[in-house]
Amino acid sequence: MRFGKGWVFRAIALSALPGIASCSGVQSALSPRGVEALRIDPLFWTSAAVGLAVTLMVVILVAAALYGPPRWRERLSGDRMLIGGGIVLPIIVLTGLFTYGLLVMQAGAVRGEQETDATVTITGKLWWWEVVYEGPDGKAVLSANELRLPVGRPVRLRLESDNVIHSFWAPQIAGKLDMIPGRTNEVVVEATEPAVSRGQCAEYCGGAHALMAFYVVAMAQAEYDAWLAREAGPAVEPVSEEAARGREIFFEHGCGACHQVRGTEARGVIGPDLTHVGSRKSLAAGMMSNDAQAFARWIVDNQHIKPENKMPPFGQFSEEELSALAAYLDSLE
Amino acid sequence: MRRFDRRWWRAVALGAALAIAGAGIFGGLFALSGLYNVAASREHFAITNAIIRLTLTRSVETRSMGVEVPDLSDERLAALGARHFAVGCVPCHASPGSKQNPIVAEMYPAPPPLTEAAEKWDSEELFWIVKHGLKFTGMPSWPALERDDEIWALVAFLERLPASDAEDYAALAGGQGEGDDTSLDFGDGEGMTEALCESCHGNADARPVHPLAPALAGQKQAYLLRALEEYADGKRPSGMMQTIATALAHDELARLAGHYAQATSSAAPVGNPDVLAIARGEQIARNGVREDDVPACLACHGEGTSAQFPRLDGLAPEYISTQLSLFRDGVRQRSTYSAIMKPIADRLTERQISDLAAYFSSLPRQPGTAFLRPEGAR
Ligand code: HEC
Ligand code: HEC
Ligand code: HEC
Ligand code: HEC
Ligand SMILES: [Cu+2]
Repeated sequence: MRFGKGWVFRAIALSALPGIASCSGVQSALSPRGVEALRIDPLFWTSAAVGLAVTLMVVILVAAALYGPPRWRERLSGDRMLIGGGIVLPIIVLTGLFTYGLLVMQAGAVRGEQETDATVTITGKLWWWEVVYEGPDGKAVLSANELRLPVGRPVRLRLESDNVIHSFWAPQIAGKLDMIPGRTNEVVVEATEPAVSRGQCAEYCGGAHALMAFYVVAMAQAEYDAWLAREAGPAVEPVSEEAARGREIFFEHGCGACHQVRGTEARGVIGPDLTHVGSRKSLAAGMMSNDAQAFARWIVDNQHIKPENKMPPFGQFSEEELSALAAYLDSLE
Repeated sequence: MRRFDRRWWRAVALGAALAIAGAGIFGGLFALSGLYNVAASREHFAITNAIIRLTLTRSVETRSMGVEVPDLSDERLAALGARHFAVGCVPCHASPGSKQNPIVAEMYPAPPPLTEAAEKWDSEELFWIVKHGLKFTGMPSWPALERDDEIWALVAFLERLPASDAEDYAALAGGQGEGDDTSLDFGDGEGMTEALCESCHGNADARPVHPLAPALAGQKQAYLLRALEEYADGKRPSGMMQTIATALAHDELARLAGHYAQATSSAAPVGNPDVLAIARGEQIARNGVREDDVPACLACHGEGTSAQFPRLDGLAPEYISTQLSLFRDGVRQRSTYSAIMKPIADRLTERQISDLAAYFSSLPRQPGTAFLRPEGAR
């Protein structure tokens, strides 16, 4: 049996598929949309290219050593080859890559020193993200599970944790940085174009670690300012009767024990702030879409959607009560 | 040496095999023939009886090894046990001052009077018998095997029984020991009145007989009814309450829930001299503990919350900590509502539990119906 020529190409194309699939999409490091990510991008490609070249060279040399004419093989076994190819070349290549890497890191560090006029503090929780902005009047604005960035303006991220180590990774914006209990790691990021991308916790932090993601929304400066002003404000009053009933249920069933809704007496701090939860891209740290149906599903079934998460399941509601509660949460824009 | 050669051994083995096979065939034929008399009216042979007694005694002695006996000196614990005894055991065993029902007396073996049981058995053996029952005798096991705490109340009572005459017993059983208690009727509303409930749960003037049983007056009606339904359905394990709730018709449960929701109690809250513990408890109840992910209890148990969320003010500290342990140990977790409370109970430390119990038990319970938030407070 003989394989046609096309076989080799098809095999290569097939094995590259998973790689290609992850190159596009909201969480790909290969479509950088931030200054940091843009600087890391060529480092990645350079390392990848050098790695590929070295691999090719080794394969060719091995083939020559095994099957080449005696003269080649004799050359290959000489001392010069050994010292040149085995010691000198790796030192040059690795030192080059190392220096390049240091330069990229240094550039990041220099940006970290520079003054920024916007700061966002992100705290890794089990298993969601608390996100605190600086409001227009300098007051802290509490939000969660989503990072909004103004395009073209450097923003300082302060990364913290009050439990175990997490790692904050928004691949299209910057590299990973750990969140370590008891200290604050800082990085200055800058989105280069308006876009929505996705990030993820990148350090195992227990039970629901794999289900701890978030969205990054980069928006034009004016839009961002309007958004922040709104985010800083209290929750809107429910307009529909159903949503008003939903608010009653929210309080009667103790949701305020763990959640804050600014402008009401719900002042809980154990779960995410829900003041404007309806305007977020996702629910439960990037796990679900954000619509009334998803709210209802989360309330009843959250331990199946996100096993071990810290919210108890609330299975007691009638269908009317549940849709009223969902309508209320959905109206919190 | 010839006697023990191989042929000899072979003969022995064959003989044994034949004997076993013969016994099996004979036994099978005997069972099939219907010759054995299972009549309760016919007593065992003396030798059979001796073997059965020996087996039973040795089994109880061996199986109860390793049981740890808690402090049983609390008179209130014995009184709680006595009150369950009047409902759950007297129909078979009778009490000092009552005669055994003649039908029960003809059970074989007949339930003996328990006045001598504590002389016959140690505390751990009594515990084991009441918990697991005795196979082939009609002595039942405890309806909720998870509830050792309730079983110990019965043991505390049985240990005081030898010293009791009819009067002492009636006092310990809170009046439940008197009257028509030889009936096998566990009650269909007639005998199970408020007097029965109050013999354990207390009333306007009296605290519950023991803090394992909570005060009911002023608790939310919907919650009371659901609790009774959960006992009746076996969703909330309690040998004491399951026995009672199962025996009552649903209408009667609903009526009692309504009755106790309206009732008021003038019994003062349990005093607790530890004002610091009360203050720490109040802090947790109002604000929670952020670093332990403990939410503020009052958001669910305070004013204006769901009629299905119980109020905690005025409950005894022991009751609160027992229930929190039951949530934590997964004993009280078979209902939708317990699924809300269980993960919260899991997060509490022992110290937080005792502080919270001190706080809630120090609050006087205001009359029930006013326990709703004034309109427009949010
Ligand atoms: C014991 C604390 C607790 C209670 C009580 C509680 N929650 Fe939560 N809730 C949480 C936690 C913790 C999370 C974050 C879960 C995660 O993603 O890991 C959460 C997440 C949520 C989210 C998703 C928020 C987001 O940013 O994506 C919604 C919506 C929500 N809860 C609604 C409710 C409602 C409605 C109730 C009342 C019926 C309620 N919660 C009661 C702790 C609680
Ligand atoms: C259905 C009838 C029945 C009920 C109800 C019942 N028992 Fe018994 N119990 C028996 C019988 C029958 C025996 C006798 C076993 C024997 O002869 O060894 C027994 C034996 C005992 C013994 C051992 C007595 C001894 O002298 O060896 C104790 C202790 C006991 N029961 C306690 C209780 C308690 C406590 C309750 C109530 C929670 C209870 N029983 C409910 C039928 C009953
Ligand atoms: C033998 C003593 C006893 C008697 C009699 C008794 N109870 Fe109870 N009751 C208890 C105990 C003990 C508990 C706690 C059980 C547990 O741990 O779940 C309890 C719990 C309850 C509860 C749950 C309260 C709560 O806060 O969760 C209700 C409701 C109740 N009893 C109603 C009644 C009614 C009504 C009657 C009369 C028909 C009655 N009880 C008779 C001992 C008794
Ligand atoms: C999100 C709402 C919620 C919060 C917050 C909450 N609980 Fe509960 N709790 C419940 C519900 C619902 C029940 C009823 C469970 C059942 O019926 O099985 C309950 C039951 C209880 C009971 C049993 C009462 C009885 O009569 O048997 C105790 C004790 C209790 N909670 C203590 C606490 C304490 C202490 C805290 C604060 C650390 C707390 N709870 C916070 C919802 C809550
Ligand atoms: Cu993680």
